[in-house]
Amino acid sequence: MSILVLGLGQSLRGDDSAGLQIVSMWQKNHPETAKEVKVEFSENPGLELLEFMEGEEAVVIVDAVRSSASPGTLIKVEKDDLLSFTSTSKLTHGWGVAETIQLGASMYPWMASICIIMIGIVAINFKQGTVVCPQVSSAYPSAVEKLETEVCKLLAKSRSQKENS
Amino acid sequence: MKKIEVPALARVEGEGGLYIGVKDGKAVEVRLDIYEPPRFFEGFLVDRYLQEVPDITARICGICPVAYQMSSIMALENALNIEINSGIYALRRLFYCGEYIESHTLHIYLLQAPDLLGQPSALDLAAVAPDVVKNALRMKKVGNEVLRVIGGRSVHPVNACVGGWYRLPETDRIKSLLPELEWALGIAKEMVKWALSLPYPKLEIDYEFVAIHHPDEYGLMKGDVWSSKGSRHSVNKYETHYIEEHVKHSNALHSRTKDGNHYLVGPLARLNLNHEQLMPEAQKVLRNNNIELPITNPYKSLIARSIELVHFCEEAIALIKSYDPAGKPHVPFELRAGEGCGMSEAPRGLLYHRYKLDENGRIKFARIVPPTAQNLPRIEEDLFALAPKLMKMKQETATLTAEHLVRSYDPCISCATHFLTVKIDAVDRE
Repeated sequence: MSILVLGLGQSLRGDDSAGLQIVSMWQKNHPETAKEVKVEFSENPGLELLEFMEGEEAVVIVDAVRSSASPGTLIKVEKDDLLSFTSTSKLTHGWGVAETIQLGASMYPWMASICIIMIGIVAINFKQGTVVCPQVSSAYPSAVEKLETEVCKLLAKSRSQKENS
Repeated sequence: MKKIEVPALARVEGEGGLYIGVKDGKAVEVRLDIYEPPRFFEGFLVDRYLQEVPDITARICGICPVAYQMSSIMALENALNIEINSGIYALRRLFYCGEYIESHTLHIYLLQAPDLLGQPSALDLAAVAPDVVKNALRMKKVGNEVLRVIGGRSVHPVNACVGGWYRLPETDRIKSLLPELEWALGIAKEMVKWALSLPYPKLEIDYEFVAIHHPDEYGLMKGDVWSSKGSRHSVNKYETHYIEEHVKHSNALHSRTKDGNHYLVGPLARLNLNHEQLMPEAQKVLRNNNIELPITNPYKSLIARSIELVHFCEEAIALIKSYDPAGKPHVPFELRAGEGCGMSEAPRGLLYHRYKLDENGRIKFARIVPPTAQNLPRIEEDLFALAPKLMKMKQETATLTAEHLVRSYDPCISCATHFLTVKIDAVDRE
């Protein structure tokens, strides 16, 4: 199974750097797992997200999200949830993760079989700058372990598929 | 009707509000309230080493990073009296072609076309015109691939530097772009006809168009600043002729000419001032489709973008066919204290940078004037012109019409401040 871990965000927009930082931290903390998958980082990919995903069988996205939940809360969202999600993204000319996945699903047959998991970390400070809210940054270790769990599940599934084929 | 309110304008970058005050059926006040926090990049760049500037300023915009990189690099090269060779320049133009292809494609098909076709979003457009959207996504990918091959990645590419490039792309990789670019050129030519067939609202404005002009190439990175009202001057004189000022309701600075006029930058300005410098196929498209210039309807900036798409696909093909890298990827230079300015045509219009450097190459001062900031007061004036029609419409229609006008400018509010709430209120004035 071809697996991509994708950290999204903006490095100069406060909490929006969280996705990038969490994936980077995960690579350092779990180098053996990270070596078994493809890892990419992208700031504001917009529709380019589809190009990252094309050819992969599973994609785990880590990104900051807006939510009524308290900052630092981790939210796991899967493809079907994203397909029904209405985002209020104001970035990259309106193309956030949910809208891009919805457009891709309507355009490309390969989207039907791809597994998409998003780990969102609830953020509150999207102002320009490098300061990350303490409630968000303190949740990074949990986010890293959540990411490790999801990637290991996918790797186990991949091994099982290989053994059965 | 006294009030139109749009909490958040979709399909633009950034956050802003629009207020229209009405009295006796006439608009008396139009404001674009930009409430995104002020840009911090100009301050953030101070004390940074000059070679960090292109990669930092690229983060001002995810959709036009090349424009920020090129304008900043040219300003810094101007400060240090660096002269690049023709090979480095040609690769910069190819890089820019990639950006124009992906940016214009995004705006034409996925941001503005839904408005013209009565669709709430590109997702809805994809349901009724899937081939149009599929072609758009493929064309956007073509532009992204150009950026990836030259710049290492399509979002915030990393290969451009003061003096040239960190490395020259291999010839095979550059040439591999040709088949898809040739496909894109064919589609772009067909799509001009499609663009001409769209139902554009009627609105004609007597604009002052401002763009870079060069006699030998479509204005992008070399040349002088031309105005359709007659003014011609070098980039070094930009700040003398075009003034930025604070306005109370906006975190973005507003621009005007030194005579106090609001002007327009972007594809309409470029096409109207530089159509003689278009590539041959793009010129043919103008002639064969009987397109009359100047175009003065802001909604028809989509047509200008579609013609520019033909031009930049054609220019990219020509540059790739002649690509023959030789020598070093960048020219050497010595650090010294200095000051310089640079300007290039971002897809949205003129983008101006000025920097002061100390003797160690550290930035001591930065000024960045993005195209959307220059267009903001012009957008307000256009909305003023549109307001009488808005007053006669039902609430929802008026809201969509106002949004549509703003979207036709392809504004990048994040760039300007470093989505739109539309409110039209009755105003009691003494």
